Amino acid sequence: MTKPGPKEVSAITATAGVPVDAEAAARIANSIGPAFDGFAAVAGTLPFDLEPASYLLVQTAEVST
Amino acid sequence: MNKHATEPALMSLTAVARAIAEKKFSSREVTQSCLNRIAEWQPRLNAFMAIEAESALAAADAADADLAKGKNRGPLHGVPLAHKDMYYDAGKVVTCGSKIRKDFVPNTTSTALQRLKDAGTIRSGSLQMVEFAYGPTGHNPHYGAVHNPWNTDHITGGSSSGSGSAVAARLTFAALGSDTGGSIRMPAHFCGVTGLKTTVGRVSRAGAMPLSQSLDTVGPLAQTVEDCALLTGLMAGFDPEDLTTSTKPVPDYVAATKGSMKGVKIGVPTAFYVDDLDAEVGRVLDETLATLKKEGAEIVKVELPNQAQLTAACQLVLATEAATFHKRWLIERPGDYGAQVLMRLQNGLAIPAVSYLEAMRWRGPALAAYLAAVTGTDAVLAPVAPMPAPSIAESDVGNSTNAEAVIQRITKFTRPINYLGLPSLSIPTGFTKSGLPVGMQLVGRAFDEATLIRIGAAFQRATDYHAKVPTLT
Repeated sequence: MTKPGPKEVSAITATAGVPVDAEAAARIANSIGPAFDGFAAVAGTLPFDLEPASYLLVQTAEVST
Repeated sequence: MNKHATEPALMSLTAVARAIAEKKFSSREVTQSCLNRIAEWQPRLNAFMAIEAESALAAADAADADLAKGKNRGPLHGVPLAHKDMYYDAGKVVTCGSKIRKDFVPNTTSTALQRLKDAGTIRSGSLQMVEFAYGPTGHNPHYGAVHNPWNTDHITGGSSSGSGSAVAARLTFAALGSDTGGSIRMPAHFCGVTGLKTTVGRVSRAGAMPLSQSLDTVGPLAQTVEDCALLTGLMAGFDPEDLTTSTKPVPDYVAATKGSMKGVKIGVPTAFYVDDLDAEVGRVLDETLATLKKEGAEIVKVELPNQAQLTAACQLVLATEAATFHKRWLIERPGDYGAQVLMRLQNGLAIPAVSYLEAMRWRGPALAAYLAAVTGTDAVLAPVAPMPAPSIAESDVGNSTNAEAVIQRITKFTRPINYLGLPSLSIPTGFTKSGLPVGMQLVGRAFDEATLIRIGAAFQRATDYHAKVPTLT
């Protein structure tokens, strides 16, 4: 997964309707970069049929210790 | 003479509720005792957002009058409490720690708060918090930092900063907090109190200020595990106002406190939660394991899946959802946010929808992998944070370029648990040489708070860290 740099941050925030200046864009890119790096090994690898609601199925499954 | 006999504010929630019910203390005596301590400590701690002495005493008198007539409202009849200032209480200002909501008066009461009121509690005021619950230190640019009663130069942790500080100083017997990335466990650890982060879906969030709909949880901070068990039992359960709450039956959590540690198997991670520890936190971890073993628990090593990936996924989810809740104010009133919260909310605007949804889709497999890794154990023990409470000065990073890195280090051990949505009980387990508290968290299976309560209560019967009270110097 490619993390957004300051230029991409400027574009995304403007599209979101909350534009930020160049200094803020650089700060945001610096702040969120580690989250993208940390998730990179998972991103793009998930199976086609996986729904977010699978979480509830796992959470509520009865398990024995 | 036992100090509790003259200063009921020092009693535990469970003990004071019993004392009022048995008419050993009146609600007015108890309330006045708390108000006396609040008057003494508030100038040093800044733990309260609002102190409502007059109305609290009037409510206490009404509770006493009811009891005199034989009318007991519930298991917490006449007990004064204050909560994090984000639980809607119809007709009362709820600031959410913010300038934007400094005059906000809701017309509904949160389900969690209402259930405690129905059990007989009365309101002594409201407690400070980090702006919109979005920060782990306890700094607040609008209302000032909250101070740690064990050393007022140090942070309380956040975002339930006032809850941790006020419970530790015995200004309230317990307080509601909320935990989205560690906001109950962190103040519990830094301030030396007990805190229970509940399973996502166990306690209703209706009428509680939202931060992240996927991660937010409601839970108590109190002196003891037994107190947390009592409060959680009163609040938990399905709520038609919050359809994300579970219909699973609520166990008798107070009964769970009577269980022993015999036969309990506790997992200790081989990595991540034991890496990069401050030496004194490492020492307390070893001592805690020794106590658990002595009390009959079996300690086993567990190899967990990559926890750093969970932290990253948590950040993607939290930042996006928080930014979405705040979008209107980000457009209309950006200047009314503190610099750090504004920066962190802006972070969420820059996360593409596909990245957010990938993080949400991975939650199920990530939880399944975690549960597979801890098969055969009853709970996992880990530090709440790698360090004891940092100083207020060193953690005042505002919106500097290293702010997110500082926040990430403090929340390193709590965020993975929020992403998985699991319950986690933070208990006081020791002190540093300089007198700062250190806590550990017990992480359990979804909806199995009872096992954590059983282990935590047994630990507190064997130790007295939870009973220590800071002194005003």
